[in-house]
Amino acid sequence: MPTVLTALIDKQDNFEVVRDQIAALINLNQAAQVILATAAAEPDPSLWKLRVFTERAQPWEQVLNEPEKPLAEQDLSPIVNVWYENGTFPEAQGDTVKRQAHTATYNVDVYGFGIDQDVVGGGHIPGDLTAVRNATRGIRLVRNILMAAENIYLQLRNKDGAALGPGVWQRWVQSITSFQPDLASESAHAVIGIRLALRVTFNEYSPQVDESNALETVHVDVQRASDGMLIVDAEYDFT
Amino acid sequence: MSLRVQAEADLAVTLEASTDFGEPFTLTDPSEFASAEQLYGAVGDIGQVLDVDTGQAVSGRHATLTARIATLTAAGYTNLPEGIADAASKPWLVDFAGVSTASQRYKVVQSFPDRTLGLITMILAFWNPAAA
Repeated sequence: MPTVLTALIDKQDNFEVVRDQIAALINLNQAAQVILATAAAEPDPSLWKLRVFTERAQPWEQVLNEPEKPLAEQDLSPIVNVWYENGTFPEAQGDTVKRQAHTATYNVDVYGFGIDQDVVGGGHIPGDLTAVRNATRGIRLVRNILMAAENIYLQLRNKDGAALGPGVWQRWVQSITSFQPDLASESAHAVIGIRLALRVTFNEYSPQVDESNALETVHVDVQRASDGMLIVDAEYDFT
Repeated sequence: MSLRVQAEADLAVTLEASTDFGEPFTLTDPSEFASAEQLYGAVGDIGQVLDVDTGQAVSGRHATLTARIATLTAAGYTNLPEGIADAASKPWLVDFAGVSTASQRYKVVQSFPDRTLGLITMILAFWNPAAA
């Protein structure tokens, strides 16, 4: 008779934690950017606004039933959807018992919307142009937020003594790809999608790993002798 | 009278009759000329689903107007409606009401003249008035 696990699996796997962290970083920073833009007296701080979601699959219904609203009342800020696409587990970067490296790809999809807009004094702003500008501005904000120095490890680097965490090793923008609706769509509003594929490498742990002692503590002192030789003192906690 | 000419003449009934499928609309050209004469044609504004290839749908609307070319010419329009890509120009605009909604203004994005039967179908986009 096979053995069953006796402990409840009541944790989040780290690919979920990382996904939520990506969304949280984008959301917190877009809000901060709006505040900074306001402080910098930018004419339209809402250009720094993003609407952030995770793992949404139902259709976006924005810009659908109130298109006749004045632009000032219409929220055309880009929509961001963060979702996990796939992951690999390199055998050379883990063990069969406790920890496995997980290299995951997260799609950060940005949707830009546009409505044709009249211009006082002549001309108009084409909606398709607005949609592209909104989407590219959104992807610009996302890329800069995720690749900021503060977010090298998505602020999920394990520290000595910290609880078991993802221990993010690396994050890297794998690609940015633009999409457009097919020609037959002929929608009354313009929509453009741009995808930023973010590759993140982090740890996943087997369920029996105890969070309280997942990391071994190693203290290392490096000293330089008078002749230039480096002396390394290492202290291992065996208790 | 050929069958084709007869079919075009029938548009007055099949396309424009307000007791049948004809719905009132207003057409404004880039010079902001709009015929004072009430125009009638087949209008549509229905929901649709857009696939932007991200794997997630976006809800949209598909709005159209079909009008009789001879009527537009007689009403004083010197050109057929068409999409205007130039942002420095005003586009062709269309106003019509839904069967249970207030009148809405649209921009002509694309037009498909059918010179065989004498009608033109316009693909429409939402139009926002100028910000105050």
